[in-house]
Amino acid sequence: MKEWLIILFRSIGLFFGVLISIRLMGKKQIARMTPFHFVSYGVIAVLAALISTNLIKNLGFGLLALSVWVLLPIILDYVSMKSKWLHDVLNGKETLLVKNGKIMEENLKQLRITGEELMRELRSKNAFLMSDVEFAMMENTGEVNVLLKSERRPITPHDLGKKVSPQMAPQTVIMDGNILDEPLGNLGLNRGWLMEQLEVMGVSKDNVFIGQVDAYGDLYVDLFDDSLQQPQVQVKELLYATLQKCQADLVSYGMETEDNKAKKMYESNGERLNELLQKLEPFLLK
Amino acid sequence: MISLQVRQTLVSLKGAQGTLRLYAAQSKHTEAVSVFKEAIETTGVIIKDLEDRLKLLEFQEPQYKGN
Repeated sequence: MKEWLIILFRSIGLFFGVLISIRLMGKKQIARMTPFHFVSYGVIAVLAALISTNLIKNLGFGLLALSVWVLLPIILDYVSMKSKWLHDVLNGKETLLVKNGKIMEENLKQLRITGEELMRELRSKNAFLMSDVEFAMMENTGEVNVLLKSERRPITPHDLGKKVSPQMAPQTVIMDGNILDEPLGNLGLNRGWLMEQLEVMGVSKDNVFIGQVDAYGDLYVDLFDDSLQQPQVQVKELLYATLQKCQADLVSYGMETEDNKAKKMYESNGERLNELLQKLEPFLLK
Repeated sequence: MISLQVRQTLVSLKGAQGTLRLYAAQSKHTEAVSVFKEAIETTGVIIKDLEDRLKLLEFQEPQYKGN
């Protein structure tokens, strides 16, 4: 067989072979890889290139070497899932760089990191002042992760003691004007419901680029036609306002009436509604 | 006159309860569903109290009696 034909067939075969093996080896990103994984990917790439260009004449030997480099990392990954010791040996352990705000010079020396490099890594994590840093770790991938001192951390609703509405993954039900049945089914809804919602909004399905349903079953749409002002339905805000109005009504009736029994009834119900409003607030108002 | 106002509040409260029912059925989040269900119950109690009061008021001022 002519040499160029051999190269052609080998290359095509290896292309798909390597594609499948790399998929089998996992989803780890290049940047998040441990040095060990990096080496095995490198060897696979070099071996594939050598076989493909017919520099390794014997196809069997080449494929043997390639399969060892594909299979061993997969096997070791499985074993290190079971054994912590092997995992540490293969992937290395994370190292403490800063503990309780103090730099661990010993560990820096061990990792051969200079103070300048440490500062650069901290800056890339938005910690410009050493005094802001509580903990810093170097992961086994070489990435540095920083825990800021509690007074320097961004404020969260938890810090404020505020309850916020729980969010769930929204489902995209319309894409490019096409209805996606599977996510719609996941929500326990159907096309009939969707068409009804679109009709309420006064838009046609073909004009919708993206339609999403949130955890409360509300539909949000983005239209192709951006000049069309699309009022987003604010049912939740309206509901809250209605209940608030009713609460105010009850209180005012309680003040107006001269009947003692009715006064008590109005007041207790106004109180009840008030408590309810506080409970509903995180769910209805964002 | 007061009976008309109470009737209005009653109607909007019933509407709100309907919307709450819709959300209780639509929501996927268990915490949200339980809060909405509780809200349906509470509004139900208030609606009942208001209905009783309304009956009394309409008896007192029959000229404003609704249908």
